[in-house]
Formats: sequence, structure tokens, C-alpha cells
Amino acid sequence: MSWITIVWSMNAGACFVLAAVCFVVWCKQRESWPHLLFACSAVAAACIALIELAMLRGKTVGQYAELIRWIHVPVWVLTLSFVAFVRLYLRAGRRWLAWSIYGLRTFVLILNFILTPNINFRQITSIRQFSWWGGEVISVPIGVANPWGMLSSLSLLLLLVFFVDATITVWRRGDRLRALFVGGSMIFGAILAWHVPLVIWGVIEIPFFLGFAYSGIVAAMGYELCSDMARTVQLARELEASDKRLNLAAESADLGLWEWDIVRDQIWITDKGRSLFGFEPSEKLDFDRFRSGLHPEDRGSVLKAVENSLRTGAEYRSEFRIVLPNEQLRWIVGRGHVEFNSEGQPVRMRGASLDITKRKQAELEAARQRNEMVHLSRVTMLGELSGSIAHELNLPLSAILWNAQAAQRVLANGNADLAEVREILNDIVSEDQRAGEVICHLRLWLKKGEVQQHSLHINEVVQDVLKLIRSDLVNQKVTVDCELARNVPTVTGDPVQLQQVLLNLVVNACDAMVDCNTPERRLVIRTGTENGNGAVLVSVTDRGGSIPEEKMEQIFEPFFTTKAKGMGLGLSVCHTIIVAHRGKLWATNNVDRGATFYFSLPINGSEAANN
Amino acid sequence: MTVSPTATVFVVDDYAPVRRSISRVLHAAGFAVAAFPSAEEFLVQYDPHTLGCLVLDVAMPSLDGLELQDILAKAGSVLPIIFLTGTADIPKSVQAMKHGASDFLTKPVNDEELLAAVRAAIEKNRDRLREQAELSEIRERLATLTPREREVLEYVVAGKLNKQIAGDLGTVEQTVKIHRAHVMQKMRVQSVAELVRLTQRCGISAR
Repeated sequence: MSWITIVWSMNAGACFVLAAVCFVVWCKQRESWPHLLFACSAVAAACIALIELAMLRGKTVGQYAELIRWIHVPVWVLTLSFVAFVRLYLRAGRRWLAWSIYGLRTFVLILNFILTPNINFRQITSIRQFSWWGGEVISVPIGVANPWGMLSSLSLLLLLVFFVDATITVWRRGDRLRALFVGGSMIFGAILAWHVPLVIWGVIEIPFFLGFAYSGIVAAMGYELCSDMARTVQLARELEASDKRLNLAAESADLGLWEWDIVRDQIWITDKGRSLFGFEPSEKLDFDRFRSGLHPEDRGSVLKAVENSLRTGAEYRSEFRIVLPNEQLRWIVGRGHVEFNSEGQPVRMRGASLDITKRKQAELEAARQRNEMVHLSRVTMLGELSGSIAHELNLPLSAILWNAQAAQRVLANGNADLAEVREILNDIVSEDQRAGEVICHLRLWLKKGEVQQHSLHINEVVQDVLKLIRSDLVNQKVTVDCELARNVPTVTGDPVQLQQVLLNLVVNACDAMVDCNTPERRLVIRTGTENGNGAVLVSVTDRGGSIPEEKMEQIFEPFFTTKAKGMGLGLSVCHTIIVAHRGKLWATNNVDRGATFYFSLPINGSEAANN
Repeated sequence: MTVSPTATVFVVDDYAPVRRSISRVLHAAGFAVAAFPSAEEFLVQYDPHTLGCLVLDVAMPSLDGLELQDILAKAGSVLPIIFLTGTADIPKSVQAMKHGASDFLTKPVNDEELLAAVRAAIEKNRDRLREQAELSEIRERLATLTPREREVLEYVVAGKLNKQIAGDLGTVEQTVKIHRAHVMQKMRVQSVAELVRLTQRCGISAR
């Protein structure tokens, strides 16, 4: 077996193998055009090597001429595909250079088939066979060079310039290694290719080995491919490790990870997520399936949040209940992130969901207990005022009794004045209604219902409270001055709870003035608007003792009291109520004597009162 | 039982419907009624010589029932007070009774009970007024005595003989006899025993 056959065949073989590998890669990754282009160029190089082998064994002029003619085809393929490959893979090389190379080479090819015998030779006169290394006999053409062949040489020159330019670009980019290997082997190959015109012009006598000019590239690309594969393996390993870590984290945090392919409306979710949402292990999931699992009351808000994220790209976050197949309820918090394509359309949403049932239940329980506390405090206060309330009921009852008994006497006397009896009956009715109102008020106070949200006039709240505590105030000889502003805007809230707050403040004020002389026992209740804050302000001013400055914050804490009796919960409950109404409660000491307690509430429709 | 038309029941209560209803009951029972919404207004219009009684609410703003009682007591009023209260306040009721209230009732109270208290109070008032009138009459009579006659009066009610009195006063028995006759005549009594009774009522001590 001659070594020339072996070596040229090996070259061709290597090129075919590399082409095949790249072709397979391209088949798997259709967007990876460089791989296809490289495959084409490698196939072309392999063909060139094979044709050169045939040329070396060429016996006749005609045979040789035909071979030279046909070698231009793979040369053309090689040039074009490799230049395109360089542009795509290395992302380097000037466009105009590339296009001029394409144009020139194509022209050369066309010309090659027009001219006879081919573009390189005007005429091949003879084949010279001589001995070369290793005792091989090779054929070399002797003939007259075709001036048109210069075009071919020109294209070769352009190719060299192109390669140099591309390599410089890659080097400047910082990709030194690649510039060295790929760029270097390209340039080396281009330089080597110059042997062709030299042989044609009869300057040197060596066999054509254009195929080998390509070998450097093959080696370089082979190296790149191997390192790519090595990197891929490593990446795959890292990915697997990262995936494992992610899963472990998600598992221990009870997170369900999900991904929603918006375009195809398919949802992928981890097994944990499936069990979280109560989906079957192999159920196909889409957005509708997710929607159907939501609690009817929460559906609206969740859909709104999703739609908002899809529209604005904002982070998705919502808390909602789901109804499991066994009718059980579960609280979930979901967080996600939307990905958009180049046209700004949402294509994917990725996120995580977490079971917060326990937390939500704790929150609800805490809220319930707070409500209980508020109610308890209210009932206790009412208990302490029971004397006052009994008196309030006593008055109308006494009036009713005496009116009725007077009427009885009048009728028994004989000469009854019906007009008077009518008056008596009117009085009875109105007193009964008054008593009924007191009972109604009491019932509202004692009820433990849900917190109401009504539109209220704060002045009415003040009047209602004063009605309830009237007798007590008279008993304690406290005078109340009301400075209620007209046209105070309405606020939203629970009337009973706000009365509770005001009552507490008034009772506290009275207690503070217990040691004052009677003329000093004055209490001022003011209502008005707080400038610039969009809030309604209510204040209760007494003339009792002052609050020590360092205790100003503490007085609103639970179980703080300076009184001999009571648990000290009143002000902390007031604070809870006012905060729940998005208002603010505070106290200041008056300049002369006593203290003033203020609370502010946001006006209907405005933001929370902030100070 | 009817009472003389000059008996007036005064009603002081700050709560109008109660005032009106009490007035109606009293009116239907045949009493004259004068109602006032506050203690101050009552004081302005009250004539101490009127026969009657006072139905008074304890809990009132500014001047309350007990304070009014004290004011009336200081002014030497004999008007009986019937307190009405909405709450069963023991300290207040004790204080009221100690300071001489006629009665202390808790609302709502039956009309019969109220009327009974009113009648009893009015009778008490009648007696007291009569006594007051009698006393002032006695004092008027005493005022007509000359200082000498007054002295003689005091010796006479001590049981001294004319001779002794003459000796103590440094005058003759005859003068004493004349003074004594004047005293008996001016004081309009027939016997010494009567005179003694009168002077005791006035609180004049024997010399």
C-alpha cells in the first residue's frame, strides 16, 4: 500500500468523520448553522483530497485536465461554506470581504466550466511522472497557465486577508485561545493553499495537497469539538448537581416549583407541587385546571394578579385558597416571574408555591382573639356602666308608669279630658321608644358580630356615647363641653367599636378628674379635620393629672394601669380598634393641666392617616 | 281625702317626661303642682310660706338634690323633701335621711306610694307651719312687753312670789303686781301655767 494513498485517504477520512459529527450535531440543533456549514466544508475538503489522490495517480492529460476542472466544485463549496462558517461561528470577518470572495469564487467556477480545459491551464501539454519520497511515483501537470487563473489566485489572496482580519477581530475580542488555534490554522491553511498556483505556474514541482491545507482546521475544530463535549459533560454534571440542590431546597421548604408554558398552555410542576395542589401524579395540567382548583371567592383576585403580571411584567404574588378533591381547604401563596419574547409577548411564567395554611390559620385565630378581646373589653365597660345604664332605662320606665297611672286616675275621676289622655298616651309612646333605643344600643354593644364597615358621621358617634354615659357624668358632676365641627367628612368604620373607644377615653378622663373640685371637672370633646392629612380628628381633653412623659407610649400597652381596679386593657383595645380602622391614637399633656387623647381616622375614600 | 287648695307639691327634676308624668299623677290626685327643671329655678320662685312639700330628683347637673337640701336647711326651711332617685344609692339615701328628708324613694315607684308619701309630707308641713305661725305669734306678743315687764315675766315663770320679785328687782310689790297684770294681759293667758307653757315653747328660760 503506498503511503500517499494512506495519507491522503486518512485526511479524507478525518474530514468525513468530522463532517458527519457536525452534521449530526446540526440535526439535533437546527439553529446551529455553523455546524452545518462546517460539515459542508469538511465534506468538500474530503472530496478535494480524494480528487487530488486521483490526480497524483493520473496517467493521461485528458484525465488530469478533467480532474482539475472538477476539483473546482468542492473548492467552491469549501470556500463559500468555510467563509460563512467563519462569519457565523467566530462572528468575525468583514462582510464586504466575504461577499466579494463569494462572488469571485462563483465567477471562477462558472468560468472554469466555460473554458477548456479548465481555468487554471490553457493547455496541459504533458504529465510528468517522477519519484518522490518513499519511492512513490506521482504525476505533475506541465502546461501553459491560463491567465484567467489569476482570478482564482486573487480569490485565494482575499481569503487570506479575510482570515487574518477575522483572527485579529477574535484576538481583540479577548478570545485569545480560539484566535490562536482556529485563526492560526485558518491562516496557515490559506498560506499553504498558495502552493497550487505555484505548481500551476511551474515554480515548484510537488503534488497538490490542498486537502492538507484543511487539516489544520480539522485539528483545530476537532479540538474545539472535544473541549465543547468535555464542557458539555461537565455542565451536565453541574446542572444535575444544581438540580439536585434545588430539589432538595424545594423539598425541605415544602415548595412546589412550577412552570407555565403560556403559548402551549401547559403547566409543569414538581411532584411536591402536585401533592400541594391535589393534582393527580400523571394528570395533564393547564391553566384551566389550576383555575378550577381555586376557591370561588379567591378566583377573582388570583386571576387579576396573573393578568397584571402578564401585562406589566410585574412579579406575580397572590395568596389564595384551593379546594382539594376531598373538600379540604388549603391556603397557598404563589410567587412567579414572567418571561417575554422579543416581541414583548409573554411566553413563560416560572414560580413557586407554598402551603401557608398554618400561618393563615394562626393569623385568622389572632384576629379572632383580638376581636374577642375588643368585645370582652366592651362588655366589661358596659358592666362598669351598668348603674348608669339602668338609670337611663329607669327614667323612661318611671315616666311611662306615672303617665299610665295618671291616666287611670283621670279616667276614674269621671270628667276625663280626652285631649289630656291623648297627650299622656303620646308621652308613653315616646318614652317607650326612648327605652327601646337604649335597649337597642345595648344589644349592639353586647353583640359579638363581625366588624361592620359603615359610613359614619363622627359627631353622631359622640352624641351616642354621651347618651350612654349621661347619668354617670351627672353622678360624678363632670361637665362636658362639646366642640363638634360642622361639616366633618364621613369616615368608614364600625360605629359600636368607635363608640367603645370614645367611651373609654371619656371614662378615663372622668377617672383622672376624680380628685378635682367640682368646678374643675370639665371635659372637652372636639371633632374636626386634620389639615393636610385627609383625616378626621377627635380629641378628649380633661383637667386631671398629667401623664408622665416616659410612659406616653406605654399607656397603650396591655395590662398597663395606674388605677386600683381594672386590668389596664382599655387603651390597648382602643389602640387595636383604631389601628384596624387605619387611624392613629396618641396622647399629649396639656399646657396647663390634664391630658388630651387624640385619635384620627381616614376620611372616606382617602389613604390611611399617616403622621 | 282632699287637702286644702293651698297645698302645693313642688317637683324638681331635670328630665321633662318624668316631670310631666309626676305632675299629672299629682294633679289627678287633687294636688296643685309647681314643676321646675332645676334647683336654681326652684329657689328663685319658692315662697317658704307655701303649704306643701318638695319631690326632688337626686341626680341633677350643677346643683343636685342633696345640695339643695343643704341650702334649704341653712335657710331654715321646713319644707319636707321627698327624694326620688334612679339608682339605689345607699350612701346618698343615708345622707338624705340624716339631713332630715321626709322620704327617699327609688324610681320607678308606684303612684300610690308616691301619693302616700306626699300626703304624709304635707301633713307634716301643715303641722310645722302651724307651729311656726304659733311661735311667731308668741314672739310678737313677747315683743310688745316692755323690758321691765319682760324681767317680771322671767321671775314669774320661775315661780317666785310677788314679794320676792319686788325684793330682787328693788321695787315695791305693788309695782310688781301691776307689771304682772300687764304681762298676763299682753301675753293673753289666764294662768301662770299657760304662761310657763308659752315661754317654754319660745325657749325663754326661767330666771
